[in-house]
Amino acid sequence: MGHHVGIVGVGQTHHARRRTDVSQAGLVREAVDRALADANLTIEEIDSVVVATGPVLFAAVNHPELWVANAIGAQGKPVMRVTSGGGAGFAGALAGYYQVAGGYSQRTLVVAYDKLSEGPLQYSISTLYDPFWGREFAVGIMGFSAAYWRARMDVLGHTEEAAAMVAAKNRNNAINNPYAHQKKAVTVDDVINSRPLCWPIKLLDVPPISDGAAAIVLANEKVAAKSTTRPAWIRGMAYCCEADNAAERSMMLSEPLALASKQVYRAAGITNPRRQFDVVEVQEPYSCFELNYYESLGLCPPGGAAELVASGATQLDGDIPVNPSGGCMGANPIGAVGVIRLIEGATQVMGRNESNQIKDAKLALVQSGGGWANLRGCAVLSA
Amino acid sequence: MYSAPETMPIELPTFHADISLPYTLTPGRAAGTFLAEVKNKRIIGSRFASGMVVAPAEDFSSVDGEEPESFVEAPQTGVLTAFTRVDGEVIGFIKLDGCDNEFPHKILADLSDLAVGQRVEAEWQDGVEESITAIKGFRLAPDAPEGAVKPAGETEEPLGSIKYALSLPYEHAYGPYYGRMFDEIRENGRVMGVRCTNADVALLPPREIDDISHKKTGTWKTCADTGTIRGCSIINMEFVGQTREPPYVYAEIVLDGASTRLIHMIEIDDVEDAKKRIKPGTRVRAIWTEGERKGSMSDIERFEVIDE
Repeated sequence: MGHHVGIVGVGQTHHARRRTDVSQAGLVREAVDRALADANLTIEEIDSVVVATGPVLFAAVNHPELWVANAIGAQGKPVMRVTSGGGAGFAGALAGYYQVAGGYSQRTLVVAYDKLSEGPLQYSISTLYDPFWGREFAVGIMGFSAAYWRARMDVLGHTEEAAAMVAAKNRNNAINNPYAHQKKAVTVDDVINSRPLCWPIKLLDVPPISDGAAAIVLANEKVAAKSTTRPAWIRGMAYCCEADNAAERSMMLSEPLALASKQVYRAAGITNPRRQFDVVEVQEPYSCFELNYYESLGLCPPGGAAELVASGATQLDGDIPVNPSGGCMGANPIGAVGVIRLIEGATQVMGRNESNQIKDAKLALVQSGGGWANLRGCAVLSA
Repeated sequence: MYSAPETMPIELPTFHADISLPYTLTPGRAAGTFLAEVKNKRIIGSRFASGMVVAPAEDFSSVDGEEPESFVEAPQTGVLTAFTRVDGEVIGFIKLDGCDNEFPHKILADLSDLAVGQRVEAEWQDGVEESITAIKGFRLAPDAPEGAVKPAGETEEPLGSIKYALSLPYEHAYGPYYGRMFDEIRENGRVMGVRCTNADVALLPPREIDDISHKKTGTWKTCADTGTIRGCSIINMEFVGQTREPPYVYAEIVLDGASTRLIHMIEIDDVEDAKKRIKPGTRVRAIWTEGERKGSMSDIERFEVIDE
């Protein structure tokens, strides 16, 4: 491996259901200004830029990186767009990580965003399905996700109540998140009694639809000190894929996430994730996903997720807090979420998280994913 | 040694698909102000600290990303810098007097009368608001005096969002495997897959290479109209692009004889009854449409629970 890579500056917008005061480019500019200021840098000191967004159909601008480059002063720099559905931000950060780790850049700016108020979300997402095979019956990923949650209820005991506990935990954690826009205290019963959208998925199991952007500056060990005395070092980072409609694909555990975590844990020296991590940030497009991640990330054995959430261990005061920021339940600008989760994990180990700082957090696990259900990754961040 | 390709391109029918999406786009402050002002027949531009003037207005300088100092009113006259003809319409780039950028618009003249450097003048179209097409185009104006950039003064509130729509027609090629499968669906009303390399079960949809063994798949196999639900959810919500009225069941079904799933629908009368009766493991049967089949998955109208 080449260089060590640290997150040395972070910035995100105050996410909202609809931002009519800024265009996509203006939204990106806000996050970039904040990340550069946080990193004590100007755009001139950035070697390369990665722009990450969800599908073009979300907001109807093709090659949005051209528009964005103007807005952030990236003219003349290497600019690359990365897209990977919900995992776009994380995949973009991984592309930036490769550039810095590989020695091709000393400092890389990664900015990720989506402006979901502009287009029809579920319909846009449905276009990821094979046009011959399933698209005409698709319900975004909501129909699909609900279907396999239903199957996991029978096999793994991922009950409606267990997922409601996740939703209530994250929604209540989001109240302290200054960047979240959905901040309302809810109880497990509120979630269970909320309106079904794709049963078993109900309204309060689903994050809001958001406009938002998030940016991080990645730097190698030689130049990190210019920005901060306490970077969040990336100890391992991976993003894996599985076959889409293969005969042996398990719908019970996320196999690509299990593969990615195995690689990352090996790189970072993690042998007992439940004990070693101080804090975890995951991307939960619906509450039921978080249960699934507990198992694929090895925080509990397969089938142990409902028990883990019920034990309170993943609450703020538990031994393995998950989503102290509120996760996607506070704000969900899809393409930006992978970077938002990295920011929340990084600021925890930097000791300056703005939502709910976990005391003395030194080691954070960050998960993100995209595509359908089959692109999943994670990263380990340390002080 | 040269060897001939196994396949040659041949013309075959395609699968037509339309993607039609409505949007509410956010122009931002500068473009939003420009669009709000066209009803006053004014062209609003941006002036940056460097002295650069850009019209129509932009939120960020294309030179260094800086935001404009102020909005200005650009003159309605300028110079033609490039032109072409597309679908019978003449499109040109125009550099307005006193401005530093060029932008594309319609040119209201014959191609044969045009030359780079000619003077042009905006012609407005009545009844159009909130769109750059409020300017009908630019006509030749050889004697138009040089205009000047003026302070914009009071400007309209920027537009927060603009209605927009995309309608994208596609013609997808089936390829040999999907081609055979949909032909069998249309002609014979049966679903066929190809055998995977290590068992007498069909991969659906059929494919050339087995995903797991990475070897060539085997011979064709007809799957039954019956199958088992692997995952299902009850769709209660309505959304853009929906093809059925909720509530109904979204189901991923493995047909008897197949090893992979297909996505389809089950109609329901009662939601609470469906939660109990329709679940992973439930047996179902395909109900084909009456009359002529089109050769698509919608030739199966729905699936029904088998009362066993």
